Amino acid sequence: MTQDTLLDLSRWQWALTAAFHITFPAVTVGTSAFMVVCYAMYMRSDDEVWLRMFRFWRKIFAVGFALGVVSGIVLTFEFGLNWGPFAHDVGPIVGMAILMEVIMAFFLEAGFLGLLIYGEGRIGRRMMMFATCMVTLGTTLSVTWILVANSWMQTPAGYKVVNGQFQPTDWLHVIFNPSFGIRFIHMLVGVLLTAAWFIAGISAWYFTKRRHLPVARRGLSVALGVLAVAVPLQMFLGDTAASSYVAKYKFPELLAMEGHWNSNSNGENIIIVPKPSEERNLWQVTIPWLGSAIAKDWSGKTAVPGLKTVPKAQRPAVLPVFYGFHAMWIPTLLMMWAVVASIALRLRGRLFSARWFHKLLVCMTPIGLLGIWGGWVTAEAGRQPWIVYGKLLTAQAVSPLKPVPVLVSLILFIAIYMTLFAVFARYVVRAVREGPGDGPLAEPAPPTLQPQPQPGLSPAT
Amino acid sequence: MHLADVWMVFVFLAFTMYIVLDGWDLGIGVFTLFDRDAGRRRRMHALVSWLWDGNESWLVLVALTLWAGMPLVTGVALPALYIPLILMLFSLIARGVAIDLIDRHDGWHPVWGRLFGIGSLVAGFCQGVAFGGLVAGFTVDGDAFAGGPFAFLHHGYAVLTGLTAVALYLVAGCAYVYLKTDGETQERAARTGRVAVVALAAGTIASWLLASSAGPLTLHPGATARLPIWIIGAVLLAAGLAFAFGSFRRDPDDGRSDRTPWIATLAVYSGGLLVAGGLLYPTLVPPGVTVHEAASPHTTLLFITIAMAVFTPLILTYQSYGYWVFRGKVDAPNEGVA
Repeated sequence: MTQDTLLDLSRWQWALTAAFHITFPAVTVGTSAFMVVCYAMYMRSDDEVWLRMFRFWRKIFAVGFALGVVSGIVLTFEFGLNWGPFAHDVGPIVGMAILMEVIMAFFLEAGFLGLLIYGEGRIGRRMMMFATCMVTLGTTLSVTWILVANSWMQTPAGYKVVNGQFQPTDWLHVIFNPSFGIRFIHMLVGVLLTAAWFIAGISAWYFTKRRHLPVARRGLSVALGVLAVAVPLQMFLGDTAASSYVAKYKFPELLAMEGHWNSNSNGENIIIVPKPSEERNLWQVTIPWLGSAIAKDWSGKTAVPGLKTVPKAQRPAVLPVFYGFHAMWIPTLLMMWAVVASIALRLRGRLFSARWFHKLLVCMTPIGLLGIWGGWVTAEAGRQPWIVYGKLLTAQAVSPLKPVPVLVSLILFIAIYMTLFAVFARYVVRAVREGPGDGPLAEPAPPTLQPQPQPGLSPAT
Repeated sequence: MHLADVWMVFVFLAFTMYIVLDGWDLGIGVFTLFDRDAGRRRRMHALVSWLWDGNESWLVLVALTLWAGMPLVTGVALPALYIPLILMLFSLIARGVAIDLIDRHDGWHPVWGRLFGIGSLVAGFCQGVAFGGLVAGFTVDGDAFAGGPFAFLHHGYAVLTGLTAVALYLVAGCAYVYLKTDGETQERAARTGRVAVVALAAGTIASWLLASSAGPLTLHPGATARLPIWIIGAVLLAAGLAFAFGSFRRDPDDGRSDRTPWIATLAVYSGGLLVAGGLLYPTLVPPGVTVHEAASPHTTLLFITIAMAVFTPLILTYQSYGYWVFRGKVDAPNEGVA
């Protein structure tokens, strides 16, 4: 009993701290890329609007990034704190991947972040450009290695087991494990479009308020341009991930994503109330024919396979997998529709005047996050009951702690993270209300690499 | 020499870099708690805000060099240190967010400032507790920790090492403030620094004398052969403490270099590390878990050793560049905050 309680508490703590953490990289990775664009355009054109945009987005980036860093440190420790046996068993492989993330990405970001945020006036424009690029490179490498580690847990490869420990035999197979490629690209496009909706939404808000229009116009244009490519691409990548990796390596997860028990329906479930103990749905809303169509049979004759085709022990929990998946793909349909509308408006020259569309974009600001959270819930809940798919059970990987300390830490995490989230949301709202400013800008940075005498600095002793 | 011993160089490097670099910014956090003047506090907050992120990265590297290279240590020691490490994480979150918001959130400055100070204090204390808990040893069953949630306390010994760690960080913080400021801030750093040096000396001696009462502190057979190393370390530590006490001068404007307290602090760190390393190596989790027992397989060690050999110089280069950009004395709260 206490063993089950401990496992549940440890899993909830991981799920909540990881979900909180991913919220910030999901926005900041793409925002840093956008800042590179802004600063590069500023250097090319000397147009102050680009510098104003750079400074404005940097304000939001800085706080989001700091929250991502501190919540990321929590995760690196939790691997050992709550999952000690896991840390021991997979340290030679997963520990390696996270170590690579730290030395290639984490330090790079941290090393240049201070320059990016506080460096103006102390470093030249080229160095500022370089620092911004390095932070963006760091965030991208970070995504890469985290996806190496997690994909190996989904589709382990290139290892042997010695005394219960997974030891690498072939690094290429470990790193380029079967699901890494598609999952990495899927995630990278996911964070880019999350940031793009965020930028589009905030820019659109300025349109609805008729404020800061030069900044808003460029933000909206760039973000919707990125989305016009990224959203269709993401639909294709998502479909490829489902067919080439989930269906092939984690078939029970695919069944839970669809939410059918018997293999006799050609429909696509939209809402289900499952009762796993009786192997049926108490209630469901199904769109006929669509399930067959998604399986690329337009005649509607293909039945969607049901969960009963795999043994009970292999089935993940239906509820989180089903709704995680739907939180990802139903918003994608809305995104697709909005992208088509944006292209139509742009072609007719009405992108900056269609107020209904601006209001819609404001409502869609956090929509990318739904997809990120949903996708990760699908992947992680869909891997259960395994922590390393098919090889190591989650129940065998939990630290032998007393449940009470874990319960207390979980409650404190919830309290602290809710506070932080409220502070962050309030900060973003305030920063957006203040806006990028319309008055004259402070002097741009001096054009040399040598620091100039500044009010904040007197000569070194 | 085994590859695991080579890997321990990187573990030791990461640990040293962490306690030296984050040591000063945690110490500044503690120091700001004693200062009622908002202007002086802002000056010190500025010092921290530029560089804390890079400093704290080394803590993550300590955790990861151990996890990838010595997975048994992570698997055993982290669950055993659950309470102090979770508290440390909460504190690091609080101070990290506080220092980032301190100049961005008008009107909330005192709240974030206080949170930054308390977070720094508790984080430093918990690190000392974790260190004391670890060196006093844990009960291990197979590949897992087999003690209770409060086993790390060792009848209160860990509290003593926790307080000693706070004193150490406070010395480092004061030495850094002494280096980077002038006027009254610098004088106050000198006064507090002297008190902290005395506290650190007392804490170190007490930790040493009481170590045997804390747990089964059985020395590895190799440790006695390294007698010269830890004697040199002990001498360096004592000399560093005396030097630090003397160099926190009451009158900083006497024309002598403001670097001396910081150099003395580095001597204290080096001495302490030599003593601890000389006594404990190759034991990682006393009494039984040693470097060779805990090490990852050869394939992993080879891969990560090459990776670290490539990336460590790069990391040190751009981190030094960051310190160089923000060199010199700080006069005012953050300029150029967008």
